[in-house]
Amino acid sequence: MAIGPGALIPEEPDFDRMRTDRTQRLREAMRDQAIEALVLLGNTNVVYATGAIWPLSDGGRTNFEQPVAVVVADDESPHLFSPLRADDRLRHALAPDHLHGPAHLDFDEGVEAFGSQLADLVPDGAVIAIDEWTHALRRAGTFTTDRGAPLDGGRLISKAKLIKTPDELAAMRAGLTITEAGITEVQARLAPGVRQTDLTAAFLRTIFDHGADANVLDPIWQIMPTRIADGPWTTTGGLACPLLSTERELVKGDVLWVDTGVSYQGFHSDFGRTWVVGQEPSARQREQFEKWRAIINAVLAVTRAGATNSELTAAATEVAGGEKPWMSHFYLGHGLGIDSAEMPFVGSDIGEAFDAGYRLEAGMVLVLEPIVWEDGYGGYRSEEVLLITADGWEPMTDYPYDPF
Amino acid sequence: MAAVTETDIHPDDAALRKVRRERVLAEMADEGIDILITGRESNARYVAGVPRLWLAGSRPFGPGCILVRETGAIHLVSTWDEGVPDDIPHENLHGITFNGANTLAWLQRIDGAATARTVATDGLMPSSAQLIETAFPSAELVDGEQMMRRVRRIKLPEEVTAIRTSVRLSEHSLAAAEAAFSIGITERQLTARFMEAMAEAGITTPTTQDVAWVTSRQHSWGRDARNNTVAPGDLVAFDAGLLCDGYYGEIGRTMSLGAAGAGAGLKQRWDELWDRLLAACRPGAAATDLLDAYDAVGVAPAPMPVARGLGLGNDLPLVTHALPRTSAAQTIEPGVVLALTGYLWQDGVGAVYGQEPVLVTESGPTLLSTNPFRDSRSSIK
Repeated sequence: MAIGPGALIPEEPDFDRMRTDRTQRLREAMRDQAIEALVLLGNTNVVYATGAIWPLSDGGRTNFEQPVAVVVADDESPHLFSPLRADDRLRHALAPDHLHGPAHLDFDEGVEAFGSQLADLVPDGAVIAIDEWTHALRRAGTFTTDRGAPLDGGRLISKAKLIKTPDELAAMRAGLTITEAGITEVQARLAPGVRQTDLTAAFLRTIFDHGADANVLDPIWQIMPTRIADGPWTTTGGLACPLLSTERELVKGDVLWVDTGVSYQGFHSDFGRTWVVGQEPSARQREQFEKWRAIINAVLAVTRAGATNSELTAAATEVAGGEKPWMSHFYLGHGLGIDSAEMPFVGSDIGEAFDAGYRLEAGMVLVLEPIVWEDGYGGYRSEEVLLITADGWEPMTDYPYDPF
Repeated sequence: MAAVTETDIHPDDAALRKVRRERVLAEMADEGIDILITGRESNARYVAGVPRLWLAGSRPFGPGCILVRETGAIHLVSTWDEGVPDDIPHENLHGITFNGANTLAWLQRIDGAATARTVATDGLMPSSAQLIETAFPSAELVDGEQMMRRVRRIKLPEEVTAIRTSVRLSEHSLAAAEAAFSIGITERQLTARFMEAMAEAGITTPTTQDVAWVTSRQHSWGRDARNNTVAPGDLVAFDAGLLCDGYYGEIGRTMSLGAAGAGAGLKQRWDELWDRLLAACRPGAAATDLLDAYDAVGVAPAPMPVARGLGLGNDLPLVTHALPRTSAAQTIEPGVVLALTGYLWQDGVGAVYGQEPVLVTESGPTLLSTNPFRDSRSSIK
């Protein structure tokens, strides 16, 4: 599978090469913006910058247990301040003097200690950007510029991680394969009387057995109403989705909208399908699926490096007869990689001007998630994960649409 | 296994919501905070009492739930009203947005936004100061996370009950991993058993996904490899935790199979450490007594906090060798629930890890698990 001249996705990712490529990309972006050091607090940003992999925990733990990365422009190796156990790969990748104990940046004492450690790594007066900020950092003025706030490093890293390297794509494909192994087990259990949480149990069991590092989203097996009015009230007047899973038992004929994702080697996966419980889809449901395919095919026909987001949304909207065929509180599509949903967002409320000005690039991974909805008769939703190439796109997986 | 089979998403208990909110409002009044903006899910849950979609890992700060002191009004980011109580009307629900201008627009429409003098947030982004200044032009930005930590520190009786339920479900799920514990099983497979049992019990949200690890014989706080299998004599740490109704229930254990294991010397030092840790959980004691317990037994400082508060996420007190002054400024008060943690590593052998949820009462520590570590130490073979 070519993403550009000679760039092939390897069977197995080379993690050393992946990390070296990323650090180089980050440091180039830093040089372009004259940033001498980048401090990162966001879990997934730390993963990107250092290659550290750990099973992500609940957000309620993260302010007491937050790895921090420091990337210095003239140092080819990043620093990691971490409360978590370093594995053999990380110890191999980072010199011992680049692996530090935890930095508690939500506490004044932690900020003070980090400040003095940072002074040893970064020259006095250096230009430093940071992705997230804390009140303790603000009080100490550690990164505050004349404008009263630190330089925003979030955009820099968001841009760096847009284009996936062949090694990154190989790891992402492996993560998608693990997800689909879990989904296969779930689908085999789909029957009246089974609880939504039973489906979650089968999914979680299988993804960890197959090598996932973590689950990233409480899996969605939403039992869809046939009319919007039968679901919860929404701010948009549209569908309420995704709704949380419970111990509710499935009944024959239930239509499930499925949405899950796992974390593998620092990459997040995504999976979405529509299933029918205990019976074959009706003729009407099959028509909805065919409409969905027509939408997807129209979008894919214009998807290539250089296309604007607007070309994709226009193609989808035209086939859908002028209505936007996606959930208005989300998007037609989103990027996938280190985060479950990252740039580019296609058809979101960032607005049409943004979409018109944003061009896809080869090496981006995009998830398309149009829907078909016929109020009174329910609808269909699936997700298509694809790699943008110079002359079009390539599918990242080939999981079937059964029972459709 | 769950106390009640849940087939609907509903808000937290009305009485609990009310008393939690009153606590927050009282603290806001004490500090002169007009508007509190929470981005952290645990703080938002404390204030609003609404279950929202669980996602793993940290999230960048953004306004997720807002409490206005003068009116008691709550504004919540939620595109739908499932799980939202009647005291948060539809007009106070704000849909998911990817556009900062849309966030700013609804912030500006909040009653009292224009005149608020003090706005607290529980987190910040580099752009937050600018956002707050624009949305609340008369306000000074202050630290709301410290305030929420003070509010959440002491548990209400209903919160202790919720934590007990979560602990019980954690124990139940851990038992499935224990049942599968065998030579040749991998860390991930043990995690898989825990997660499966947890979801079968009706809970789909873990606090940690690092459920089982073979402790390293070479590194005091490291993994020997990324994909370890259990070998005879390995000391294997289990860290089990889940959220039920938002509340944390966590327990930590160490197990081994076959030859060698911890050995008599390590076991004896472990028992001594654990007894001292538990003895330090007296009401009114200095939190540093917990750190001193390690010194007293001649054990290296733990690489993780010796005590963290448990509640809707981690709470104060936070007692860790990494923050000695912060630890020294805290005392062990009745009403806190601690994740009390022991860690003891020996070169060439591995580590013993244990974590016990402990409620501190006027009369001393109460263990919240049904098979407390101290009674199951024989499992360290």
